[in-house]
Amino acid sequence: MLTCKGLVAQSSDLLDGSLSFRQRLAARTHLAICFHCRRFIRQMRISQRVIRTLPEAPLPDLEHLLRAISEQRAAQSDDHNER
Amino acid sequence: MTDEDLLLARLRSGEQAAYKVLVERYQGAMRAIAIAIVGMSSADEVVQDSWLSVVRNIDGFAGRASLKTWLLTITANAAKTRLKKQRREVFIDDIAGPHGTIGADRFKADGHWQQSPLGWHTDSPEALLDEQELRECLDHTLTSLSELQCSVLLLRDRQCLELEEICNLLEISHSNVRVLLHRARLSVFATLEHFEDTGEC
Ligand SMILES: [Zn+2]
Repeated sequence: MLTCKGLVAQSSDLLDGSLSFRQRLAARTHLAICFHCRRFIRQMRISQRVIRTLPEAPLPDLEHLLRAISEQRAAQSDDHNER
Repeated sequence: MTDEDLLLARLRSGEQAAYKVLVERYQGAMRAIAIAIVGMSSADEVVQDSWLSVVRNIDGFAGRASLKTWLLTITANAAKTRLKKQRREVFIDDIAGPHGTIGADRFKADGHWQQSPLGWHTDSPEALLDEQELRECLDHTLTSLSELQCSVLLLRDRQCLELEEICNLLEISHSNVRVLLHRARLSVFATLEHFEDTGEC
């Protein structure tokens, strides 16, 4: 019988769909009878969405990067023209 | 023509705005890959080198993989070149969170919850993130993770890469990725739970 502790240990694999058929069945059975673990799994899903929703860190010196890219392209097309 | 084909054509014609779109779309994932492999300190340089390599090679991109996979592979290769042979070890146990995660103390001897999860005031990530302080707590938690662990979390839960893809790009085993990811997720969970409970980090 899967315990709450065991379910928590497998929770990431459950979220990623990495459990075997047998393990998934055991997890589903546990969740059907355990309110606490249902809440835990729901909150783990919310945590994932929080990470997904976090504001993006500002891009470091985007302008600088774009300038480097455009210089590189210019250098390349000079190469082509010389050949 | 798909959105990606269209973007590719614009990139090949050298349209600067198309590069801007590409950078804005994929810089986050590329950075996470670079940090996982070379660490924070040289990650930005690796990403910059990768972009230059993208520009050099865009005409040769055959479209067998998706543009995203191609970009991330270039980044991983640039990072590995930088690292040469000094591979960083994967220390699975070097991580202490800002406060307890979901440790053994949360369970009774029989494996049932000792201290069961608390209800949260909302199920909405947006509503949770409205709190400036919580955003700071999460920043703190992400910083407290190892660079590799944080990158794996971001690549999976933010950039939505498949586990398989993460294993290949970072050259770490499936079981290592799963352990790193699980611990990182529990740290995020614990941060949210603690904040819901106390209003503090
Ligand atoms: Zn349970």
